[in-house]
Amino acid sequence: MRRFTAVALVASLGLLPALASRADDPPANAKVEVPYRLTETKHIMVRGKLNGKGPFNLIVDTGAPAVFITKGVAEKAKGKPDEKGWVDFDSFELEGGLKVPAARGRVEDLVQLDGMNSMGLAGIELHGVIGYNVLAKYRVEYDLTRDRLTFEHLPKFDPPPLVPLGGKGNEGIQSMGPMVKMMAAFLGLKPNFETAPRGFSGFEYAEKDGKVTVKAVLPGSPAATAGLKAGDVITGVKTDSIDSGKDLHRALAKAGTGTKVRFHVSRDGKEEEIVIELGKGL
Amino acid sequence: MNTAIKLVLFAVLAGVSPCPTSGAAPEKDAPKLEAKSVVVPFELLKSRHMALQVKINGKGPYRVIFDTGAPTNLLNNKVAKEAGVLTKADKGGLPLFGAASGAKTIKEFEVGGVKLEGMNTMVMDHPTVAAIAEAVGPIEGLIGYPFFARYKMTIDYEKKEMTLTPNGVEPGDAMSSLQAKLMGSLSAPKDKKAEPTILAPAGVWGFAVDKEEKDEDAGVKVTEVLAKSPAAEGGLQAGDRLLTLDGRWTDSLGDTYFAASKVAPGKPAVLVVKRAGKEVKLTVTPAKGL
Repeated sequence: MRRFTAVALVASLGLLPALASRADDPPANAKVEVPYRLTETKHIMVRGKLNGKGPFNLIVDTGAPAVFITKGVAEKAKGKPDEKGWVDFDSFELEGGLKVPAARGRVEDLVQLDGMNSMGLAGIELHGVIGYNVLAKYRVEYDLTRDRLTFEHLPKFDPPPLVPLGGKGNEGIQSMGPMVKMMAAFLGLKPNFETAPRGFSGFEYAEKDGKVTVKAVLPGSPAATAGLKAGDVITGVKTDSIDSGKDLHRALAKAGTGTKVRFHVSRDGKEEEIVIELGKGL
Repeated sequence: MNTAIKLVLFAVLAGVSPCPTSGAAPEKDAPKLEAKSVVVPFELLKSRHMALQVKINGKGPYRVIFDTGAPTNLLNNKVAKEAGVLTKADKGGLPLFGAASGAKTIKEFEVGGVKLEGMNTMVMDHPTVAAIAEAVGPIEGLIGYPFFARYKMTIDYEKKEMTLTPNGVEPGDAMSSLQAKLMGSLSAPKDKKAEPTILAPAGVWGFAVDKEEKDEDAGVKVTEVLAKSPAAEGGLQAGDRLLTLDGRWTDSLGDTYFAASKVAPGKPAVLVVKRAGKEVKLTVTPAKGL
């Protein structure tokens, strides 16, 4: 009997390495939260790194049969399309940590992306779309009240493959490409994708009863250099009066690095003016 | 000028993908919806599009493509007339694929037990939709953003169903807001350089980052961490390579500030940094401040 128990124990312990090694793999039904942005054109845009390059801006598009990237993106990602225009990615990763195994895509310059980019319509440059051949592998949750999509892998599902359809395909709309570009040029529309960081002050505040009080000034920050002190009540910025944190953020929303900003503060019952030269940081 | 802008918008918004399509349509009144969660089956077409059976103003069912890449709904002229979305007073306004000038309203939209009142659509005979229909049978239009924005939506290709739970979102007006943007940029002085968009962190963190132009590696360099700041309390150190902030890549200064703009003060965020060759996870809670 004792021997049987020993055998059983060894046998069950013998299973452990297999289980342990399986546990090293990511769970098949792991959910990954993928951050997205809603573009000004109302597209759901996620960011992807292709072959480790990027990030590239990709639209989540159930209306596309596959991943599509522009020729420029393919070049940057060192993806060489075959004679039919397909490229196999060595790695395809979405922001948030979703790694898509064995992802393929088509390399094509799409008139819609070109058109939006030539005018800067989306508010951000677009590099491609993610369609059926990747999306179908996941149960995807969309909710515009959140800033992430949820991708849950479907481990037992092998999506039906793409089949050639024949027919005219996309020529109708593709033929409009030159027209759109000409029209954009004629109207004098230029994209503006430039961004710049807001300037850094370096203080914490508390809000209470319509008063914004400096709680702490970070040592060595522009606010400290300018002489802002904990306990100061911020009553105004430039010509704006300040009654809330929201007011404060609004007043500084467009102030870049190097901007000199005049703060009106009340200190020990006296009104003072403090000019902070906004620095680099966040 | 207005017509030119509309033409341009129609052309580029008519679907982002080679096969599929879309358009852009304004919303006027907030459509009403029933507040419950519904499972809607879809058909996976040979073209690998999702097709839904929908009723429009009680007519139909019509087969339409469901397209997350479509900023607007779209119906063809035949169905729009049949279902009374277009009336006799409507005449083609734009010399482009029989497009009606501006958005039309679907008074009553129904799909798999979900009913919506007052949803907008464009009316247009889109060549790509027609091409798909030639291959897979009748397709009368596209359903996109103005529909799905209103729901927490799960799409499951294995079960071929989508689950919809109302989330209270009222979709904005893609077409008219873009038109306003274009008019605005047209009336702006041409010689003036466009201002960059300023990216503002939502709270104060107390660190600075930098990246040299030739540096193409992932992440940004943390150049400074201020004493007693939220970043210092979370264990961030100058010299760290910041890889992600709250699950977002930080491969440029812009990325870093954008990620920080999405973290509300008081909300703990995970920062992944590379330090001495190893990846380290830190938790930093930004404070109210700037």
